[in-house]
Order: sequence, then C-alpha cells, then structure tokens
Amino acid sequence: MNNLLEVRNLTTHFHTQDGVVQAVNDVSFYVDVGETIALVGESGCGKTVSALSILRLIQEPPGKIKSGQILFHGADLLKLSNSEMQKIRGARISMIFQEPLTSLNPVLTIGLQLSEALEFHRNMSSQEARDESIRLLEAVGIPRAERRVKEYPHNFSGGMRQRVMIAMAISCHPNLIVADEPTTAVDVTVQAQLLALIKDISKRLNTSLILITHNLGIVARYAQRVYVMYGGRIVEHGSAKDVFHTPAHPYTIGLLSSVPRLDEPRKIRLSPITGQPPDLIFPEEGCAFRPRCNFIEGQCAQQAHSLVEISPGHFTACSLTQNGKVLWKKT
Amino acid sequence: MSTTTAEAETKTRPHHTLWGDAFIRLRRNKLAVSGAIIILIIAVAAIIVPWVSPYAYDKQDMSAILEGPSRDHPLGTDILGRDVMTRLIYGARTSLAVGLFTQFIVLIIGIPIGAFAGSLGGRADNLLMRFVDVMYAFPDILLIILLRSILGGSIYMLFLAIGLVAWVGVARLIRGQILSLKQRDFVVAARAAGASNLYRTTRLLIPNALGPIIVSVTFNVPRAIFMEAALSYIGIGVDPTIPSWGTMVRDGFDILFASPYVILFPAVAIAILMLSFTFLGDGLRDALDPRLRK
Repeated sequence: MNNLLEVRNLTTHFHTQDGVVQAVNDVSFYVDVGETIALVGESGCGKTVSALSILRLIQEPPGKIKSGQILFHGADLLKLSNSEMQKIRGARISMIFQEPLTSLNPVLTIGLQLSEALEFHRNMSSQEARDESIRLLEAVGIPRAERRVKEYPHNFSGGMRQRVMIAMAISCHPNLIVADEPTTAVDVTVQAQLLALIKDISKRLNTSLILITHNLGIVARYAQRVYVMYGGRIVEHGSAKDVFHTPAHPYTIGLLSSVPRLDEPRKIRLSPITGQPPDLIFPEEGCAFRPRCNFIEGQCAQQAHSLVEISPGHFTACSLTQNGKVLWKKT
Repeated sequence: MSTTTAEAETKTRPHHTLWGDAFIRLRRNKLAVSGAIIILIIAVAAIIVPWVSPYAYDKQDMSAILEGPSRDHPLGTDILGRDVMTRLIYGARTSLAVGLFTQFIVLIIGIPIGAFAGSLGGRADNLLMRFVDVMYAFPDILLIILLRSILGGSIYMLFLAIGLVAWVGVARLIRGQILSLKQRDFVVAARAAGASNLYRTTRLLIPNALGPIIVSVTFNVPRAIFMEAALSYIGIGVDPTIPSWGTMVRDGFDILFASPYVILFPAVAIAILMLSFTFLGDGLRDALDPRLRK
C-alpha cells in the first residue's frame, strides 16, 4: 500500500457543558502520495475537526480523540509524544488555515516568521533562512519579495497573506498539506489564483493535498477523490467523477442540486436541502440524514449504515443502494 | 502622515511597524505628549541637579528658615533653612527611581509567572494563580511594613518591597491576555507549523500582550510613587536624610498654617508627576489599540 496517510475509524468528541458533541464519528479515509482528496460537507459536519485531528491540534479539553488510528507513513500519529509530533507538524504535514487575516503573528515581520520555521525544521542558518524565505515568497507570487520580507502582516492584503501562508506551508517540503477552506476568506478571482498556486506547487513537490471545502466547484476541479461528510460521518466516497456524475447518497444529490448551474435555464429555482444539520450531541438513531431525506424507508430509522461499495471505488452509506444499484435518478 | 515621507516614498505607501504606528498616534494626543514632556523635564532636572544647583540638598542656613519664595530661594526654604527647590528636584530622583525600579521588579516577577500560568494552563495555572490571589488579598501596606522590617531600610529594599507587592496585578493581566491570545488563529497556526510551547509563549504570546502591559506599567508608576510618598510620610519610606516628596510633605504638615509653602510645593509636584504619567498612560492605551488606527 502506498498510502501516505491513512485515517482509520477516527472518532473525536468534544465534552461541552451541554453534553458530548460527537463531532467526528468513525471516519476513515486515506491519501496517496501526490494525490489530492477533498472533504466536502456543510458547516459543522466534522471536516475541520477531522483535519485538526490529523495534526493533533484539537484543543484538549474540551476535545478528545476517542479512538482510531492516524497512520502517516505507516506510523500512528496518535501514539507519538508531543515533541515528536512537533517535528511532524509543519515539516512533514503542514496546514493552511481558513483565515489568512488572523493566522499570522502581528508582531513579527513576514520574513522572520518564515525564517524561524526554516531554522527550526530545516536547521538553516539565519542567513540561509532569510534567502530561502525571499525565494519562497517569490515562488508564491509576491512581488518585490526582498522588500516585503521586512514588512508586517498588516501591510499585506488578505490574498497576499494567504500566499504567505502557502509559502509557510510549503517551506519545509512537507509530504502532506492540509488546506482547511483556504479560499473562503478571499474573493473569487483571488480564490482561483490561490488554488491554482496550491495545486501547481503540490504537483511540483509531489505533495499530497487534503482540501477541505464546501465549495463543490473547487472539488470538481482540483480533487481526484472526494469524501462527502454529513453529521460527523463519511456518507459517500469515490472518485470526483463518480461522485459528481452518479451521486449515490441522498445528501450528495441534495448538495449537487442546490448549486446553481450555468447550463440550466435561469428560471429554474434552486432546490435547497430542507431542514437543519443534525445536532451532534443527540445523534439520531439510524441514518443521520433521515429527517431531511426524500427517500426514506423503514430501515433508515433502525441503524446507521456503513459504507458499501456500489461500483469499484465508489462507496455510499445509504441503504437504498445496498443491493449495488442506485434506486433513483437524479431529480 | 507627514509630507516628507510621502515625498521620499513615491511609489509605495510608507509602511509602519506596529510600534511606529502607535508612536504616530501617540504624537497626536496633546495630553499624552505634554505628560511625556513634563516627565522628561523632571527626569533631566533630577539627573543634572548636582551640577547646576547652587545649594546642596542638606545645606542648612539657619539665618533663612521658613522663607517664602524669593530670588535666592525660588520656592522658599524649609524649617532648617534648606532650599526647597533643590530638595524638590532631589526628591524627584527618589520618586522617579521608585517609580521605574519597582516596575522593573514587577515585570521581572509578573511576566514570567503570568505567562507560564496562562500558557501552561491546568494545574500549574491553578497553583500560580491561587498564590497570586493570596498575595492580592493581603493588605499592601501591611505587607510592605513587614517586608521593610525583614529586608532593612535601604532605598533598594524599598524598591524590592513595593515591587514584591505590586507584581500580582501584572501577573493577572498578562495571564488574561495570554488566555485570550492562545485561542487566536495565528497561535493555532504556529502550533500547526511545529512551534513549541516555549516558542509560542516567548515569540507570540508575550510580544502580543506587550501593549496592555506597557499601559499598566505607565499607570502603576504613579501608584508606586504615591506609595513611596505615603510610606515616607508615615516614616517607613526612604532614609529621612534623603529628600523625598513624601518626607517633605510630612515636614510641611507640621507647620501647615505657619508656612504653607513648605507643604504646597512637594504636594503639587506629586500631583503633577502623577497626572503626567496618567495622561501618558491614557495616550499609550489609545495609541496601542490598533482598532483606533486612522
């Protein structure tokens, strides 16, 4: 198996005063070397918590990784000591955050922030680190990099800061980059540039990428495989082509039909998914999507469904597909 | 923004560091600037007084006791015929030294304790903060009197005694700052980039908490000065031979009605210095708040 990262049965809970939030429940996924996967789902479905769990950045307490394995190059990250984990973070697995405006230390110059990571993870001298940070800023498309390294985060625009974050994420040539909604905070034109940049760099360095997003357009364009999450579980998983062309889970179908399309007549109203996301403190018996689903049957109420392969590499957690066929057409 | 920088930087807008930015805003605040200037004048006067003063601070002139302001003695003389102006300026040395050195001690003790409590959290935090609570609950004057009797009467021990009492406020302040900063994205991002706890505390948390700390120090300086004056007034402050505003007020109190000048000038001096620090602190608080950036 050449899986770079394999997450097995990850379960992360948060102990709040209202009860235990079962944010991530029995989630498994993997990333191959050089591959890009996407975790898709609405807000609160457990995408970010899954990502933070990989790097063990869950705030503890209230959070807690209850069970599961996170195998990186075959070694379980959950068994590492804190100092071993520190050497992985940033150097082997790095992360790009959602909010570029607040993800940089406001009191240090951009150059220093880049250099310090280089000195720590790549044992560079301060001079080498300085030159390397200029080179990195140039690589992510920041003009006059040798001047800009001396500036502070507030001298940079949001898009520029996200470029800096990308530069930081790639600075130590990690094997895996986890990008948590990297473009939600910037506008659409910048979004396209940034994604192209991330994609380009990860291809050049043969870095794997976990793209966390709720933007289906991004998924279709950049990811090879897609995991659809709902209520802390993975409900569908397959190649981007399978998931987009023959969505199997009712939730995925709902997601896709709630996206406006340019090739449809303009008068058609969007069909949003009705109802509310599930309360993860009191999970439903049976399928979590049942209250919002158009296709329920009696068995949906009895048990949560496990993922079933309906075609090679295409899995869904809906009982209506358990006999290997999708029982409905896209509405 | 001044026109000179705009001319020098034709292509790019001039950029400022965090502190440079704060300085620009501070400069616009007239009260803060006048406070800073007064503090500066007092400090310079206190430093150069031995070389320019025509009188020694302990020179007694029995032929001229309790004189009002005159050409020879601009602020009059006290009950032993000593020049009040000279003593006042020497007293500024004591006051400023007390104000600054106690804050130095406060920072040396308060920052590490507050920072470690905040960044480590859990049991260490609990332990350190309960200790702080105990210190906080203890009456200040009582503790200082206690420390004075243990540490002895030199002026350095006075700094230490006041510092040992005042650090709790700063420790609490920095802990609170760090607790809120810890949740901020850039700290989580630094963790994701492999930064150790020590690195995060020293490079991210403490520097970002410096603004409120500086403000609190500026407000605490006048409190320490006042504390010294109060301690000197009740006789456990500085050595009575060293001029201090507190001892001068006490000396003047005995003859309040006979010659009010003697108490008037040191009291006014205390008020002016405290006001100056308060105005400066106020200005700094506004200047260091990035939300007020224009």
